[in-house]
Amino acid sequence: MSFSTRRRVDLLPYALVTPLTLFIVGLALVPAGYTIVASFFRVQELNPPTTFSGLDNFRRLFSDEAVRSSMANTALYVLVGVTLSTVLAIGMAVALQHRFAGRSILIAVLILPWALPGVVEGIVWSSIWDSNTGLLNSLLSSVHLIDHYQVFLGQNQLLTILAIELVQVWQITPLSVLLVLAALQNIPGDLYEAAKLDGCSSWSVFRWVTLPLARPGITIAMVQAVIVTLNVFDQPYVLNGAASTGASLTMQTYFISFQNLDFGEGYALSLLITLVTLLVSFGVFKLVYRPVEF
Amino acid sequence: MKRNSPWLRRMGVLFLLVWSLVPLYWVLNISLQTDAQISAKPANYLPPTPSLSNYLALISGTGELPDAIRRSMVNISVECGVATVVTVLLSTLAAYAFARMTFRGRRILFYSVLATMAFPAYTTLIPLYRIMTFFGLVNTYTGIILVYVSGFLPLATWIMYNYMSSLPISIEEAAQVDGASRMKVLWHVVLPLARPGIISTAVITFLFAWGQFLFPLVLSSDLSTQPLTVVIAALQGRHTVPFSLLSAAGVFAMGVPALIAVTLNRYIVSGLLTGSVK
Repeated sequence: MSFSTRRRVDLLPYALVTPLTLFIVGLALVPAGYTIVASFFRVQELNPPTTFSGLDNFRRLFSDEAVRSSMANTALYVLVGVTLSTVLAIGMAVALQHRFAGRSILIAVLILPWALPGVVEGIVWSSIWDSNTGLLNSLLSSVHLIDHYQVFLGQNQLLTILAIELVQVWQITPLSVLLVLAALQNIPGDLYEAAKLDGCSSWSVFRWVTLPLARPGITIAMVQAVIVTLNVFDQPYVLNGAASTGASLTMQTYFISFQNLDFGEGYALSLLITLVTLLVSFGVFKLVYRPVEF
Repeated sequence: MKRNSPWLRRMGVLFLLVWSLVPLYWVLNISLQTDAQISAKPANYLPPTPSLSNYLALISGTGELPDAIRRSMVNISVECGVATVVTVLLSTLAAYAFARMTFRGRRILFYSVLATMAFPAYTTLIPLYRIMTFFGLVNTYTGIILVYVSGFLPLATWIMYNYMSSLPISIEEAAQVDGASRMKVLWHVVLPLARPGIISTAVITFLFAWGQFLFPLVLSSDLSTQPLTVVIAALQGRHTVPFSLLSAAGVFAMGVPALIAVTLNRYIVSGLLTGSVK
């Protein structure tokens, strides 16, 4: 685009990318590198000095009862969250696949839960799960499914995790729907015409046309879901506090670093969560993704 | 149209409406009742005597709690507003360079920016807190805004890059032949054309910033900088705060993003899709 033939270094692009570079290097790459290095050091705010400690931080993590139970909790959050959000997203995307009156209003309604703060959503749902005044208890006892109000949060571990994760699923499913919907809209209409001419049932059209061709979209949706569920914080923090029935790994990072002020162990746990997130995302990608060509 | 059976689609649509709206209806319903009314068994599915008193208590009431809500609303607006403006500005400049210029280090820088998106945001939580402590920026607007901008810049740059790359280059070339400098071309030609992309980037950045919780929980220690999300979560832990009042505060925190989501959803959808597909 430049007509100059002189070999002068063009400074404009460097000027344009410098602010971005400073932010990314200074506040993303350097801190990320710092997390890796510092997880092998003993860094305790109240108990200096900082010294190299090898794998000691990791050893302490794995012998910490609270961290171990949070690992199990987080695994359940991921399992429940990824499965549920993916199934719901495919269902809703198919419902929205073809144009009809009111579809754009539905999409506006659909993205509402995605757009709202997770913490506030936790408070909204606590008024549904509440054991004294909650909507769910009221509805269940109205139809006589229960004869007295139940406690959903904080007693049974599996129930607690389901109730909390449902709140996160509520928040993350809209994005998954959009991703699957975008993939569905790439499917050429004549494939459906051909399937119809061959006399396929709606189920076999879904099973053999829609589902395989939506795989790229489903993959991205699942990877997104893995990343956010593995790092869940807001919903369990608000709905169940520090209780071991629902505490997540990110919550432990917060408690270890900012309540116990044991930054070394906090770095180690951050690094662990990051590595597991990358590994599981990659695994899901490998498992689900198939290239699609039309 | 007739491809999937209409009643099945209707069920799906009905489910979507119930799923998205019932929890929101429920918090509105509670916020319009008194604390005594919300303890009714079975619950009041409609407010028996709808009243805005919870909202008025927060808007014009005196005391520690309404003061905290009002102050934190100012805080969240300042933090999200400034972070959005800075993010959009810097990502637009960088995206223009990435999309339209060649320079040494372009590829490696571009891919480094994209690579940071693959990492969970909380990877850098502790080091960012330590950096902000070191520079005395904990519990300042500047500290929170710097962290937000660094977190949202990669996605913003990616959305702007894709949008600018999709614009026809011929108009820009014509302007350059007419003697316009590249910055003039950016300002007078590219920016007007890229308006939808800029709106997408701004809206998505603002919504992400508005929803932040763990970062400000760590980075702000008192009401001088705590955003609404942090204050509401702290109130929830105190059993002395009536739940109907807390619900009204929750509606305040959801009002702004809900309004944006409903009115600008077209830009959110297109931005999110360029942001994550490809």
